[in-house]
Amino acid sequence: MIKIKDLQHHFKIGKKGNERHVPVLKGVTLEVGKGEIVAILGKSGSGKSTLLHILAGFMSPETGSVVVNGQETAALKESQQASFRLENFGFIFQNFQLMPGLSAFENVELPLKIKGMAEAERKMKVQKLLEKVGLEEVAGHYPNELSGGQQQRVSIARALITDAPIILADEPTGSLDSETEKDILLLIQSLNKKLGLTFVIITHDEEVAAVADRQYRLHDGELVKGEQRHAV
Amino acid sequence: MQFKDQIDFIRQHMKRNKLRVATTILAATMGCAFLIVLASVGFGLHQTITDDVLDNNMVTQIEVAGKSDGEAEIPPADIPDAELQQIKEMAHVIAVVERNKPEAETEIVIGNRSTYSQVVLSSMEEEQKAGFALSEGKMPSKAEEVVVGYHMAERLLTEAEMEKEANGEEVAGFAGSLIGQTVELELTPFTAEGEEAVEPSTWEFVVTGVAKEPAKDWMTDAGIYADSSWGPIFNEELGLEKGYENILVYADELQNVGGITNALKEDGYYVYSVTEELGTMNVFFNGLKAGLIFVGTIAVLIASIGIFNTMTMAVTERTREIGVMKAIGAQPKLIRKLFLMESAAIGLIGTALAVAISYGISILANWLVPIIILSSLGEEDASGMSIVISTIPWQLVVIASAISIGVAMVSGWRPARKATQIDIIQALRQEM
Repeated sequence: MIKIKDLQHHFKIGKKGNERHVPVLKGVTLEVGKGEIVAILGKSGSGKSTLLHILAGFMSPETGSVVVNGQETAALKESQQASFRLENFGFIFQNFQLMPGLSAFENVELPLKIKGMAEAERKMKVQKLLEKVGLEEVAGHYPNELSGGQQQRVSIARALITDAPIILADEPTGSLDSETEKDILLLIQSLNKKLGLTFVIITHDEEVAAVADRQYRLHDGELVKGEQRHAV
Repeated sequence: MQFKDQIDFIRQHMKRNKLRVATTILAATMGCAFLIVLASVGFGLHQTITDDVLDNNMVTQIEVAGKSDGEAEIPPADIPDAELQQIKEMAHVIAVVERNKPEAETEIVIGNRSTYSQVVLSSMEEEQKAGFALSEGKMPSKAEEVVVGYHMAERLLTEAEMEKEANGEEVAGFAGSLIGQTVELELTPFTAEGEEAVEPSTWEFVVTGVAKEPAKDWMTDAGIYADSSWGPIFNEELGLEKGYENILVYADELQNVGGITNALKEDGYYVYSVTEELGTMNVFFNGLKAGLIFVGTIAVLIASIGIFNTMTMAVTERTREIGVMKAIGAQPKLIRKLFLMESAAIGLIGTALAVAISYGISILANWLVPIIILSSLGEEDASGMSIVISTIPWQLVVIASAISIGVAMVSGWRPARKATQIDIIQALRQEM
């Protein structure tokens, strides 16, 4: 499903003319199969977010390749990448990244609007999904009227609504308390089991990484295989 | 994204920044209204002058004042009948009327009433084709029958009435209908000073019809219309030379007058029609209108700075949202379209308001300005005055709308482009 091969990337640091190249990813290679949960652990600045951004097509790698569902993402033009993301990826962000001017319902509905789905069909779909993630009672609430856990559930629902096979989660519980964190992780596990979704979770938290089938640790730009799944 | 959803999307964003959007719309409205009102003055004056020209002319009439055969000038009376027949057969020509007025003093007498008048000799059949109409009676069918002008009856006065009228008193003239009355036509050749006066010659005619009232209040028609066959008879009896002949060509519609006029000119005829006068005038007024629209466009351009600022701020404020949209799959062209639509919406709403306001100002100006002009002239009654200060034809609305909405979209272009270039990673890092 996802094949990352020999990914290398540098960041430029310093003033123009006096720049330093700092390597972030040093030949990262990783394969993720369908229905797997893979966690990438790492400290702040370890390059784990850079890896996710390259995987999502937010940025291009300097060398190496990312192949998702048989498509090399770097070969796509910007507009094609947008369509590719819409079809293949759902995103869960640490800060939820919800639209403040839209209700929970409308936030979840947004990707389907972008997709151009007919109103009646998408309303029904959003309604069903909100019920599934336990948000039907707060569907009309705006993000600032929701708790952190509810906002992350909205964010998860938004990631699921397009039926994308891969969910990329960047610190999905980073802004939540431990109780809510547990709920969200259970939800991720349940979605993985019931829907067969593939999750790539970027985190610095061992507890979060524990829900993964496979764990990897990014250390000084190199990917090291970690522990296998144990119960949450 | 479906069009309806795009509209909903920009409506939500505009609602969130009501005040800023409202002030930008206000600026766009003022700019566009200034453009429309300014140009409407050019259109209004053009209409006033055009109406004035058309009111004082038979609009489908083309006057032929002679012809040049390349060597000599041919007066209207000497234009051969065969050539007039050719004109009659031209496309869109409905009649060619040859009018002749004997060069003699003309007096009409019925019993003890009389009036000085003028006799018009013409083919009544052609006159009828050209639109000559009666208010009562019928057209003559014999040479001894005539049609009199609409005001003939009221001009027929007794000697006592003539004296009264000279003293400023009102007189009624002939009472009853002139139809069936026998009128005496007295023609006296003009004589130069010192020449012996010539005795008048008299002919009798029966009135069969009264001409239609002239279109304008100030026009008086007290003439007598007789068949053109009387021309040679009058000339012979009175010893007159062939008088001045007036040839009038009538087109079926105003729009064909220009074509016929040009065709006659090409054939060497000296012609005059209302299109000649309007043509020169149109050049001047079209130039004036273009100038006014240009000046008005500057106001729209000034308003566009506001739109540019609003849209630039909108893009800056929504950087994170744009980043999220791009991340979850919105194409750059969709982002650009949404921002262009928003600036177009500002232009559209501003234009719609401007059109409504401009019509209001135009109506007010047309009501108020004549009153001000009259009061400055010391007159009170404005009923006879037809000054159009401002008029807004649909073409002006279309031009102003196109300029206003076009300028709004151009103003929004750069901010919209900036929105598409927003880096997703940078945008997602922004605080809420």
